[in-house]
Amino acid sequence: MEAASISVHGAGHGEHEHHGPPPANRSSRVEPQLLGMLLFIISEVMVFGAFFTAYFFIRVAQGDPWPALGTQLPVEVAGVNTAILVSSSLTLHWAQASIKNGNRWGLKAGILTTFLLGCTFLFVQINEYANIGFAPQDAAQQTIFYSLTGLHGAHVLIGLMLLLFVTIRSFRGHYSPEEHRGVEVPGIYWHFVDIMWIIVYTTVYVI
Amino acid sequence: MATTVQAPGPARPPAQSSHRGASPSLGAKLRAPGFYRAAWMMVLGVAFATGLTWLVRMSTGHTTFRHFIDGEAILTVSLIAVPLLFLIGIGGFDYWFYWALGKPTRPEDHSGHGAYSWRDYFRVNTDHKVIGVQYTVTSFFFLLVGGLMAMLMRAELAQPGAQFVDANTFNGLFSVHATLLIFLFVIPVFAGLANFVIPLMIGAPDMAFPRLNALSYWLLPVAGAMMLASFLAPGGAFADGWTAYTPLSTNMPVGQTFFSIGVQFAGASSIMTALNFLVTIITMRAPGMSFFRMPLLVWANFATSLLVVIATPFIAASQFFVLLDRALGFNFFNAGAGGDVLMYQHVFWFYSHPAVYIMMLPGFGIISEIIAVKSRKPIFGYRMMAFSLLAIVVLGFTVWAHHMFTSGMAAWIRIPMAITTAIIAVPTGIKIFSWLATLWRGVLHLDTPMLFALGFLTTFTLGGISGVMLAMIPFDIHVSATYFIVAHIHYVLFGGSLMTIFGGVYYWFPKMTGRMFDERLGKWHFWTTLVLFNLTFAPMHVLGLQGMPRRVATYATKFADLNLLVSIASFGLGLSTLIFVYNMITSWRGGPRALANPWRGLTLEWQVSSPPPVFNFDRVPTVVGGPYEYGVPGAVHGIFKPAPAGAGASAPPGVTLSPSE
Amino acid sequence: MPSRRAIGGALLAALLAATAGIALSYAIHWFPVQATTQAKNTDRLYHVLVIASVPIFVLVVTVVLFSVWQFRMRPGQELQDGQPIHGNTRLEVFWTAIPALLLLGLVSYSFVVLRDNEKKPGGVPEVQIGVTGQQFFWTYEYPPSVTGGRPLKSYQLYLPEGDTVYFNMRSKDVIHAFWIPAFRLQEDVVPGITTHYRATLDRVGDYPVVCNLLCGAGHSLMRSTVHVVTRAQFQAWLKAQERAGSTVATASAGNPARSRLPGAVVGAAAG
Ligand code: HEA
Ligand code: HEA
Ligand code: CUA
Ligand SMILES: [Cu+2]
Repeated sequence: MEAASISVHGAGHGEHEHHGPPPANRSSRVEPQLLGMLLFIISEVMVFGAFFTAYFFIRVAQGDPWPALGTQLPVEVAGVNTAILVSSSLTLHWAQASIKNGNRWGLKAGILTTFLLGCTFLFVQINEYANIGFAPQDAAQQTIFYSLTGLHGAHVLIGLMLLLFVTIRSFRGHYSPEEHRGVEVPGIYWHFVDIMWIIVYTTVYVI
Repeated sequence: MATTVQAPGPARPPAQSSHRGASPSLGAKLRAPGFYRAAWMMVLGVAFATGLTWLVRMSTGHTTFRHFIDGEAILTVSLIAVPLLFLIGIGGFDYWFYWALGKPTRPEDHSGHGAYSWRDYFRVNTDHKVIGVQYTVTSFFFLLVGGLMAMLMRAELAQPGAQFVDANTFNGLFSVHATLLIFLFVIPVFAGLANFVIPLMIGAPDMAFPRLNALSYWLLPVAGAMMLASFLAPGGAFADGWTAYTPLSTNMPVGQTFFSIGVQFAGASSIMTALNFLVTIITMRAPGMSFFRMPLLVWANFATSLLVVIATPFIAASQFFVLLDRALGFNFFNAGAGGDVLMYQHVFWFYSHPAVYIMMLPGFGIISEIIAVKSRKPIFGYRMMAFSLLAIVVLGFTVWAHHMFTSGMAAWIRIPMAITTAIIAVPTGIKIFSWLATLWRGVLHLDTPMLFALGFLTTFTLGGISGVMLAMIPFDIHVSATYFIVAHIHYVLFGGSLMTIFGGVYYWFPKMTGRMFDERLGKWHFWTTLVLFNLTFAPMHVLGLQGMPRRVATYATKFADLNLLVSIASFGLGLSTLIFVYNMITSWRGGPRALANPWRGLTLEWQVSSPPPVFNFDRVPTVVGGPYEYGVPGAVHGIFKPAPAGAGASAPPGVTLSPSE
Repeated sequence: MPSRRAIGGALLAALLAATAGIALSYAIHWFPVQATTQAKNTDRLYHVLVIASVPIFVLVVTVVLFSVWQFRMRPGQELQDGQPIHGNTRLEVFWTAIPALLLLGLVSYSFVVLRDNEKKPGGVPEVQIGVTGQQFFWTYEYPPSVTGGRPLKSYQLYLPEGDTVYFNMRSKDVIHAFWIPAFRLQEDVVPGITTHYRATLDRVGDYPVVCNLLCGAGHSLMRSTVHVVTRAQFQAWLKAQERAGSTVATASAGNPARSRLPGAVVGAAAG
C-alpha cells in the first residue's frame, strides 16, 4: 500500500518546472495506510464469514455428523501448529519493537524467524492434508473442512509473501525508528491471519 | 469568479517525453509497461496454465498422455492467470514489485498525472480525473453492449414461439445482459463519476491510493471482456441468469466459469475503489470540511463504500464455492453428498441485496447535488438526508431473504425479513420527500440534468412502491420470478439508477470535458427516454400478474399483444439512448467551451477551471460553511485562503466562492 | 409563496387523479381466474396495496408538477436564488412516522392473509399429492391415502374441487418452481429437500402449471395442466388410472416437454 499524494515528499519532489500537487490536508489522525489495511481486513473477515456461513449450513442447519462418519481430525497436530502460528505473532512483535528502538539486528532476526515459523505452519498444514485420509470430494463435511482450512492457508500464503517482502527490505537496510510503517502495516495483516486461525481451529477442530 | 479559476494544467513536462516520446525500439516497447508487454505476457499465461494443469494431472495419477491435457481445466486456470499477467503487462503492479524487492522505489513524480492526448486514456494513469473518465466511458460502452442484448431479447420476445435465437442462447443473452449492466455498468459508472468528483469536492489533490485506483480501473475491462468472451465458450455463455443459482450453475457448460471468475475481478475492483474512497474521504478532507459540511454526493459514496467493503466478499465467496464444485468436484451444493443448495442463495443475496443499494445510493447523492443547485436552495433536512443513507446501509443487511420468499427456506425467516423490507422504505421515503421539499419555493432551472432528476423522482417512486408490494409475502408468492419482478427491476435500475447516471453525466459533463453539451438534444433524450421507458416497462407489471414467467424465450399466446407493444417501445428506447451517445461524442469533440462554474454551484469542484488543473488546486481550499447555502446572503462554502481563526459560517475575508458575485 | 388558489387547485387535481387511479385499478382485470380461496385473499391484498400506493405516487408526481408549474425559473430570474429553507423538524417527523405506520399496517395485514392462506383446514383430511420436478417435466404421485389402493404415478394432475390439497414437492436434478397462476401459489422445488404448499380448490376448470424457476434450456417448455374436477369425476379418473395401470409408461412417450429436450442439456444437468 502506498499513498503517493499524501507522501511527505509529495510536493517536495518538484523536479523540472512541473511541480507536484499541494500536500493534502490531513483530516484524521489515522494513517491512510493503516486505515486502508483495517478496511481490507474487514472485507477479509467477511470472506471468512461467508465460508463460515457455508460451514454453519452444512454442520448446523443440515445437522450432518461432524466430523463426517469414519473420519477424524488430527486435533493434536493442528494444536501444535496453532502454537507455532501464535509464537510467530510474538516474534513479529519483537521485530517491530526492535526497529522502534533502532535495533536493526532485532528487526532482521525477528522478521526472519516470523517468516520461517509461517513456512513451518504451512508445511505442517500441507502434510496434514496429505495424511488426513479423506478428500474434499468425499462429502460436504470434508468439502467445508478443506475449504475453511484451505482458505486460511491461502491467507497464510499472502501473509508470508508480505513478510518475505518486509524481510528482503529490512535486509536491504530499509526502515528506521522514524519510518517503520512498512513493518507495522503488513504486521497487522499477519496478526489477523493468526487470530483467524484460532477461530478456525476452535470451530473446525475443537468443538 | 475569475480570481478563483486557476491556470489550466501545465504543458506536458519533459519528464514524460522520456517514456511517452516518439516511437522507441520494439525491444523497448516489449519491456516497457504497455499493451505490447501485456500481449506476450498473456501468451505466457496460457502456457503457464497448460503447464500447471499438466503437472497437476500427471501427479494425480492421470497416466496416458491424452489425460495430461484437459481443455476445461486449462481454460479455468487461464481465466485466472491471463488477466493477472495482462495487468502486470500494462504496468499495474510495477511500483509494488519495486517495493517488494526492496529496490529504491521511485517516489511518485506525478508523471502519471493528467491526460495530454487521447492515448493517455489507454495507459495506466494515476490521476483520479483520468481514471474517472476511463471508468465512465468504459462502463457506458458496456451499457451499449448490454442494451444491444436487450434489443435481441425483445426481438425474440416480440412474438410467442421461437423467432431466431434458441432457448439456450436466449438464456445466455439475459444472463450476460444483467451481468454487464450490473457489474460493468451501474456499479463502475458510479465509481467513475465519484472518482472524478469526490477528490475535487473534498479539496484533495487526488485519491488516497492513486496506484490502487489505477489498478481497480484496469480490472474492469478484464472482467467485461471475460463476460463477453463467454459467448465463444463451448456450450455458449453462462445461461442461468445473473443469479447463477446452484445446482444449475454447477452443471452448466464451461461458460459459467467465465461468470464465476469474471465476477471475482469486478468484485475486487469495486472493493479496492470503495476502500480508496473511504480512506480518501476520512483522511483527506480540506480543513474545515467536517462530515456535516460534506456534499451529499460524498456522503452517498461513503455509505455505498461501506456496503461494498462489507458485502462484496460474499459474492466472491459464493462464486468460489461454485468454482470449487465445478472445477474440483467439491460438494458445497451437491445435495446427494450432504451439500446445501439453499446456502448458495443466502450467501448470494447477502451480497446482492446490498448490491441493489450499491446501485442506488450514489444516485441519491447525484440527485441531491442536482436538485440543490438547480432549484437554488439548500437541501431540505441535510442531516436527515445523511442519516437516512446510513439507515439504508444498516437495514440493507437485514433484508436479503426477501428474494427467497418462495425458495423453500424455513418459513419463519420470511416474517422478520418482510418487516425489515417494508421498513426500509421509510428512510428512502425521507429522501424522496426531502427532495420534493427542496423544490418548494426554489427557482427551478429546468435544463437536462434537472429534468432527469425530476424524472427520477417519479419513476423511482413507482419502482420502489412495486418493491414494497413485493415485501408482502402472499403477493410475492404469486408474482415472484414473473415479469412483475422484471418490471420492478427496470423501474428501480433504469428509472432509478440510470436516470441519476444520465443526470449526473450531463451535470458534470462541462467539468469533465471542458465543453458544454447540446441542451436541445439533451431535452430530446430526456423526453423520449421518459415516455418510451414507461411504455416498455409498465406493461410488464400486468404481464407478470397475469402469469407470464421471467426468463422464458417463448410464452403463451395470450401475452402476445402486450409483449409486442413492449418490444416496439424498447427499440425506441434503444434509439433514444443513441441520441445521448451522439450528443456526448459531438459535444466532447466540438461543443462550446464550458465556464468554470456554469451552474453557479457552491461545492468545490466548481471553483476550479473546467477541466480542472492537473493537480486540482494550487492551494488546498479551506471550508467555512455548508455546501448548499443557496439564497443565504453572503454564504460561503470554501475559500482559497487559510481560514481565519475558528472558521465560522460568517463570510470571512479572502476570495469568497459564493456564486452571487 | 404560491397562491391559495394554486395550491387548492393542485390538491383537487391530486384528489381526482388518485380516485381515478384507484377506480382504474378496479377496471383493469389484473389476474387470471381465481381457482382457490388463497387466490381470493391474495387478490384482495393486492387491491389494498394498490389503494395504499396510488395516493403516494400521485402525491409525489403532483408535487413535482406543481413545483415545475409554480417555481420554474421565469425570464429575469437567472441570477436569483430560492428561499433558504433548511428544514422543518415537525414536517420531517411527520413524513417519517406516517409511512412507517402505513407500512406496518400493510405488512401486518399481509401476515394475516399469509396465515389464512397457509393454515391447515379443520375437519376433512387434506388430499396429499406428490409432485416431482425434473428437466423438463412434472410427474405427480397419488398416495394410497388418496387412491384408496395402490399408489399412482401420472403425468396428469387431476384434483377434486372443494378439497384442500397439500403438495409435497421434490426435485430430481436442479431447482424448479411449481407455480399455478390460477391458484396464486408457487414454491421452489429444491433437490435434497421436500417443499410444500396448500391450496383450497373452489373452482372447476383446467389451469396451466408453470415451472417458474430457470432450470435449463427447456425451462420455458416445462408446462403442465391441472384439471380441477368434481369429487365424483376425480374418483372416476382414479379408477380409470387403476385399470390402465400406472400411466407413466404410456404418457412419457408422448410427453411434449420431454420429446423437445436438447439431449446435451439433460446430460449436463444430470451430471
Ligand atoms: C437499484 C436497485 C433496486 C432498488 C433500489 C430496490 C429497492 C427495493 N426492492 Fe428490489 N430488486 C432489485 C433491485 C432494486 N430493488 C432487483 C434487481 C431485483 C431482482 C433480482 C433478481 O431476482 O434478478 C429486486 C427484487 C426485489 C424483491 C424480490 C422479488 C422476488 O424475486 O420475488 C423484493 C421483495 O421484497 C424487492 C423489494 C424492494 C424494496 C422493498 C425496495 C425498497 O428499497 C424501495 C424503497 C423506495 C420506495 C418505497 C419509494 C419511495 C418511498 C416513498 C415515496 C415513501 C412512501 C412509500 C410507501 C409508504 C410505500 N426487490
Ligand atoms: C441497470 C440495469 C439494467 C438496464 C439499464 C436494463 C435495460 C433493459 N433491459 Fe434489462 N435486466 C436487468 C437489468 C437492466 N436492464 C436485470 C438485472 C435483469 C434480470 C436478468 C435475469 O433474469 O437474470 C434484466 C432482465 C431483462 C429482461 C427479462 C429477461 C427475462 O427474464 O427473460 C428484459 C426483457 O424485456 C429486459 C429488457 C431490457 C431493455 C429493453 C432494456 C433497455 O432499457 C435497454 C436500452 C438501452 C440500449 C438499447 C442500448 C443503447 C442502444 C444501442 C446499443 C443501439 C441498439 C438499439 C437498437 C438496435 C434499437 N431486461
Ligand atoms: Cu423447471 Cu424451469
Ligand atoms: Cu432485495
